[in-house]
Amino acid sequence: MSAALPRRAPDAVPDRARGTIALLEASCTACMICARECPDWCIHIESTTEQPARDDAGRSRTRARPVLQRFAIDFGQCLYCGICIEVCPFDALHWSTEYDYPGMDAAGVGAVAELVVERDVLGELVRGVRPPLP
Amino acid sequence: MSVGQADLATGLVAALGAGTVVESFGQHAAVVEPGDWERAARTARDELGCVLFDHLLVGDAGGPTACGECWDVVLHVVRMPVGGGPAAGLLLRTRLPFGAALPSLTDVWAGAAWPEREAAEMAGIDVAGHPDLRPLLLAVGAGLRPLRKDALLVARAVRPWPGHLEPGETADSAGSTGAGRRGATAPGLPPPGWGDA
Repeated sequence: MSAALPRRAPDAVPDRARGTIALLEASCTACMICARECPDWCIHIESTTEQPARDDAGRSRTRARPVLQRFAIDFGQCLYCGICIEVCPFDALHWSTEYDYPGMDAAGVGAVAELVVERDVLGELVRGVRPPLP
Repeated sequence: MSVGQADLATGLVAALGAGTVVESFGQHAAVVEPGDWERAARTARDELGCVLFDHLLVGDAGGPTACGECWDVVLHVVRMPVGGGPAAGLLLRTRLPFGAALPSLTDVWAGAAWPEREAAEMAGIDVAGHPDLRPLLLAVGAGLRPLRKDALLVARAVRPWPGHLEPGETADSAGSTGAGRRGATAPGLPPPGWGDA
């Protein structure tokens, strides 16, 4: 006799689970390293250059810096290898234990409706990031 | 059971009178010349009791800087438990120059036929003395060698690489910042103009 599994069991997700990949946007410098290392080309980054009038110390000779305009991961292509998380020099990418795809409702409908996940949703996935091992 | 047992590797080198034992991450392997390949396999089976064939694999040994110069061939065979002791594994390796033929081990273990067929098909290695080298997966005459590092990933010719943008570039402004610089390229990418008639 089999019974239907409960659809959600958050406590049962192990800390190291590779659910989805979350983006901590404040740490991202749009350096393109993850997009270039990705073996199946599923990370899409676009950025613009901003020239601040004054830098943090108030000097007027400032360096141009890239500003993130788009960060998207195509989970239809992602193979969850974690290379992007490994290579990120600024720790902007993290494994999230959230395993439901965005667009999926409580009944599990729409799971594959939208697999290209943009930066706003990737930022929300940070809530499923567990603290690192001691 | 250890995959590469130290006493089996040293025992094989002693029985052969050739080769060396190398240790890597706690696993010991006997390394022999390609000319000693079949004799080493026969010695392992007949004198060391490694009757169980497990696996044979080939891989490009050159690394990123010297692709396509030589192959690493690795054989793993197992000595079955005797008198209640544990089973023991023997790793045997050789380094085969590109274009050289690999002596077949089908006379020693019939099960070696399948991985040798795979090596012949996927890496294009010539296996000498193999009874049946029909392709396993690819069409006859396809001319593809997917396990070679220089195999082109053809699907990448039609899709733009997301990494071609520089920091500070959008898809619309691509090429506006790094004027005159050589752009980054991805591995397996066909050269520009590839496939144009």
